[in-house]
Amino acid sequence: MNTTVFAPWEDPQAKPLIQFQNVTKRFGGFTAIDNLSLDIFEKEFFALLGPSGCGKTTMMRMLAGFEKPSDGHIMLGGQDIDPIPPNKRAVNMMFQSYALFPHLSIWENIAFGLRRDNMPKRDLEDRVEEMLRLTRLEQFARRKPHQISGGQRQRVALARSLAKAPKLLLLDEPLGALDKKLRQDTQFELMDIQEKTGTTFVIVTHDQEEAMTVASRVAVMDQGKLMQVATPDRIYENPNSVYVADFIGDVNIIEGRATANGDETYQVDWAEGQSPLTATSSTGFTNGQSCHLAIRPEKVTISADRPADAINAVQGKVHDIAYLGNLSTYHVELANGTIIKAQSANTRRISRRSFTWEDPVWLSWTATAAVLLAN
Amino acid sequence: MSIKTLTMTAIVALGTSAAFAEEVRVYNWSDYIDEDLLKKFEEETGLTLIYDVFDSNEVLETKMLAGGSGYDVVVPSGTFLQRQIQAGAFQELDAAKLSNSGNLWDVIQERTAGYDPDNAYSINYMWGTTGIGVNVAKVKEALGDDVALNSMDLVLKPENMEKLASCGVHFLDAPSEIIPMVLQYIGEDPDSHDKDVIGKTEEVLLGVRPHIQKFHSSEYINALANGDICVAVGWSGDILQARDRAAEADNGVEIEYHPFAEGSLMWFDQMAIPADAPNPEGAHQFLNFILDANNMAAASNYVYYANGNKASQEFLEEDVIGDPAIYPNDATMQNLYITTPYPAKTQRTVTRLWTKIKSGT
Amino acid sequence: MGRPGLAVMDGHGCGFAGELMRRALLIAIPYVWLLALFLVPFFIVLKISLSDVELAIPPYTPTLDLSQGWAGITDFFSQLDFENFVWLTEDDLYWKAYLSSVKIALISTVLTLLVGYPIAYGMARAPTEWRPTLMMLVILPFWTSFLIRVYAWMGILSNEGYLNQILLWLGIISTPLTILNTNTAVYIGIVYTYLPFMILPIYSSLERMDESLIEAAEDLGCSRLKAFWLVTIPLSRPGIIAGCFLVMIPVIGEFVIPSLLGGSGTLMIGKVLWEEFFSNRDWPVASAVAVVLLLILVIPIVLFQRNQQKQTEAGQ
Repeated sequence: MNTTVFAPWEDPQAKPLIQFQNVTKRFGGFTAIDNLSLDIFEKEFFALLGPSGCGKTTMMRMLAGFEKPSDGHIMLGGQDIDPIPPNKRAVNMMFQSYALFPHLSIWENIAFGLRRDNMPKRDLEDRVEEMLRLTRLEQFARRKPHQISGGQRQRVALARSLAKAPKLLLLDEPLGALDKKLRQDTQFELMDIQEKTGTTFVIVTHDQEEAMTVASRVAVMDQGKLMQVATPDRIYENPNSVYVADFIGDVNIIEGRATANGDETYQVDWAEGQSPLTATSSTGFTNGQSCHLAIRPEKVTISADRPADAINAVQGKVHDIAYLGNLSTYHVELANGTIIKAQSANTRRISRRSFTWEDPVWLSWTATAAVLLAN
Repeated sequence: MSIKTLTMTAIVALGTSAAFAEEVRVYNWSDYIDEDLLKKFEEETGLTLIYDVFDSNEVLETKMLAGGSGYDVVVPSGTFLQRQIQAGAFQELDAAKLSNSGNLWDVIQERTAGYDPDNAYSINYMWGTTGIGVNVAKVKEALGDDVALNSMDLVLKPENMEKLASCGVHFLDAPSEIIPMVLQYIGEDPDSHDKDVIGKTEEVLLGVRPHIQKFHSSEYINALANGDICVAVGWSGDILQARDRAAEADNGVEIEYHPFAEGSLMWFDQMAIPADAPNPEGAHQFLNFILDANNMAAASNYVYYANGNKASQEFLEEDVIGDPAIYPNDATMQNLYITTPYPAKTQRTVTRLWTKIKSGT
Repeated sequence: MGRPGLAVMDGHGCGFAGELMRRALLIAIPYVWLLALFLVPFFIVLKISLSDVELAIPPYTPTLDLSQGWAGITDFFSQLDFENFVWLTEDDLYWKAYLSSVKIALISTVLTLLVGYPIAYGMARAPTEWRPTLMMLVILPFWTSFLIRVYAWMGILSNEGYLNQILLWLGIISTPLTILNTNTAVYIGIVYTYLPFMILPIYSSLERMDESLIEAAEDLGCSRLKAFWLVTIPLSRPGIIAGCFLVMIPVIGEFVIPSLLGGSGTLMIGKVLWEEFFSNRDWPVASAVAVVLLLILVIPIVLFQRNQQKQTEAGQ
C-alpha cells in the first residue's frame, strides 16, 4: 500500500490555508467567538459542528467577510483578510436558504458571479455548462428557481458558489432543508464534488451525523469555543470531554472516582453496592479524582446470564426498548435507579427476540470500551 | 319607554319636519355679508336660514343650468344673470312681497336694467368696480415714488411689469373682466363682441404674461394682505378687505385700491330667485329683509362694497360712503363702463384666448 | 352524492333551485355594482358628449322625451353626432393638454419614485419592531383632509411662507424664492400627496425580500451598490410598477393640486375640462374631453392589471 492518508494537520511542515489567530467576536455585550485559534488546510472538508448559538455561523460569516473579528486576525493563504470586503475575497458561500436570485434563470444564477469578473463570453458559457453538468442540472438551465424542486435548488446553489472556482467554499447548513433520504444521497454527492474540484470546503451544521459523514475533520463548538477538533472517528471514539461525548451520538455517562489499578488502567467506584468498573486511559488520574466514564451503547453487550469473562458487568431489568429497525436500544434500569443504554443489532425477526420489558438482564463491556474523562 | 314618551317623540318629529319646510337656502359669494344679519333675519322671521357660499360665477351658473340646486336665493353677477334669465333659470319677483323696494337707487337700477329688463327678476345687492390693488411701498420701491398707482400702464406695460414681477402680480381669472379692461386700454369698445377686436388683446396680454404670477379670483385677498404679492387686478371690495386685514395684522403692509384712471368696469351682483326654488315665499322675505335700509347699510359697512340702496346711504359709515374707492365721485362714475354677456360662439373664442394667454397653448 | 356538505344542505330544504338562485345573486352583486357606479354614469357622459350645447336647463340638446313614444326615441338618437370629438382634434389645445398632463404625470411619478424608494427601503430595513410605527407615519396624513394638507403647502411655499422665512433666516437666500404658483409647487404637492401610494407597494415587495440575497450577490463579487442594482431593484420591480401606476393614473386627471399650487400656466386636462364645463358652459365638449381622458387612462390601467396578475401568478 503506497496511498498516503490525507492528514496535513499532522504534518508540521504543512501550511494551513486558513488560520484563525486568537479571534474574538463580540456583538454588543455578547461574546459569540471567544479567543479562538484554528487552522484549516487546503483540500480539507472541514465541519463546524455545534448547537445553535454556539458561534459556528459567526465563524463562517467572518470567513465570508460579512462580519469582522473584534480582536485577532483571520489569515487566508497567509494573507490577513480582515480588511477585504466579501466581494473581493476568493471565498464563496452556499447559503442555508440557498439565496437563489428568483428573477434569474438557473443558468443566469450560475453565471452571476462569473459576469462580475467580466469573464469572456465563451469561457463563461463553458464554465456554466460545466457546472450544470457537475450538478446534473442541464435540463433545468432555463427554468426559474421557483420552478424546480428543493433538491435541485440545493444543487443550483452549490453550482453557483463553485462556479468561480473559489479557494474556499463555505456551506451553511447546506442540507438542512432537504428530507432525510435526499440528504443522505446529497452528502455523498457533496463529498464527490469536493473531491473532483479539490476545493477546500468548510461546512456548518448542527447535524452530527452529517458532519461525521462528510468531513475530514470536525470541530465541535460550544459557547464560542472549540471543544475538540479531530477526525470524525477520533471525535466519536475518543471524545476529550463529557460535552463532546454527549453531543456526538448516544452515550452512557457514569460519574465516579478513579483509582490507579495497573498500567494506564483505573478502577472506578461509582455507586454504593455496585462493584467498581475498570477502564483504561492514557491520560493520568490521581487516586480519588472524580471522573466520568463514557460508554457508547453499541459497546455494551446485553445477555440473560452474567458473561463469565466480562471485566465490567452490571445487572438490571429492561425498562424500555427503542426499536430502530436495524438496531434496538435497551434502556436497562439498575438496582440503584441508574439507566444504562445498550444497543444490539436485530439479526433476528422481532417475534424471536430474546428480551422484553421487565426481563432481568446483564450488561457487560470491556476495559477499552469506555473512555475515562476528567469532567 | 312609556306610551307617553313615544307620543312626545312623534310630536317632536312632526315639529322638526314642519320647521324643515320653513327653511330658506341662500347661496352667496364668500365673505360677502355681515353674519350678524343672518341671525337677525332668523330672529325677525322665525325662518331657518341656510347660508352657503361660492367664489365664482361659473360654479353658480353650472348649478343653475343643471337645475334642482335647492337654493331659494342666489347672487349672480350682471352678465351671468342675463344669460341665466334667458335659459329660464329664474322666476319673476312678486313686487307685492317686496315692500322695501322703494329704497332702491335709480342710478343703479337704470344700469342693471341692461341685464335684467325692468329689473323683473332681480334686485341689486352690491356693485363695484374692477381696478387695481397695490402694496404702496413695494410698488414705489420697484417703480419710483412718482408712479401713477391708478393707471393701467402699471399692469399692462411690459417694462413696468418686469420690475414688478419679483414682488408678485395677480390678475383675476375672469376673461369677461380682463378682456374689456384691455380693450378699454387700447381704445376699443370694451363691450365689443367682435372676435377680431377681442383678438387684439392677445398681444397686449402676452406681453405682460411672463410677469403675472397667477390668474385667480380670490387668492389675491390674502396674498395682498400678507405681502406675498404687491399688485392685484381685482374687485374693489376684495382689495379693500385685503387693505383692512393688513391693517388689522399690523404687519407693515399698506394696501390701496384704485379704479383705473382710464376707466374701470362696473359690475353688479344681483339677488334672484331660481325658478325651482323650494321656498319662494321665504326667498321674498329674505330679499325684502336685504332691501331694508338699515340691513343693507350694515352689509356694506361690513364688506366695503357700494350697494344699490339709496335709502341705506344715510346709515353708511363715513369710511364707506366717503371713500371714493367705494363710492366713486361723479367724474369717475362717468368713466365706468359696463359689459353684456358674450354669445356662446364668442364665449368659446374668449375662453380659448384666455387659455392661450394663461398657459401659452 | 358523496359530499356530506351538500347532503346537509338538502336536509335543510334548500333545494337545487335555491342554490342556483343564491349563486346567481352572488355573481350579480359585483355586476350590479359595476353597472350602477361605472357603466351608467359613463353612458350618461357619453350621451352628453354626443349632444349639442344649448342655453337651457340642462344646457344641451337633445333630451330624451319618452312621452313621444318610439318617435321620441328615434328622434333623440338621430340628433346625436360625433361633432364634439371632431372638435377636439381641430384645436391643438386638447392634445397639448393631454400631452402636458401625461408629461406632468410622468415627471411626478419619477420624482415620487425617487423620493419614495429610499423611504420604502429604509422602512423594510428598519428593525422589525419599528416597522408598524413607520407604516403608521406613512399612512397618518390620510387622517386629515387632502384639501387641508394642500392648503398647508400654500402656507409653506408662499413668498412670505415658512420655507422662505427659514431659508432667509439661515442666510441661504437673500430674496424670497417664488415657488408657489409654479410647476415646482405642483410637483411638490403631487409628490407629497401621492407618496404613500408609491411607498406601500414598494415596501411590501422589499419587505418580503430575503436579505441573504444581497449577501449572496456580494459574495459573488458585487459591490453594495451593484448588488442593490442587480438584485434589490429587480426584485422590487413589481412594487415599483404598481406604485408608478397608482401614482400616474390619478395624476393624469389631477385638478385640485395644479389649481391650488400651480401657476396659471400649468396646463392639465383636468383644468381644461373645468374650463369647458364652467367657463364655456359647454357640457357636450366637456363630456367629450372626459370620455377621451377615460380612454387614455384605460391603457395604463390595463397594463397595471396585467402586472398585478403576473405578480399573483409568480407568487403561487
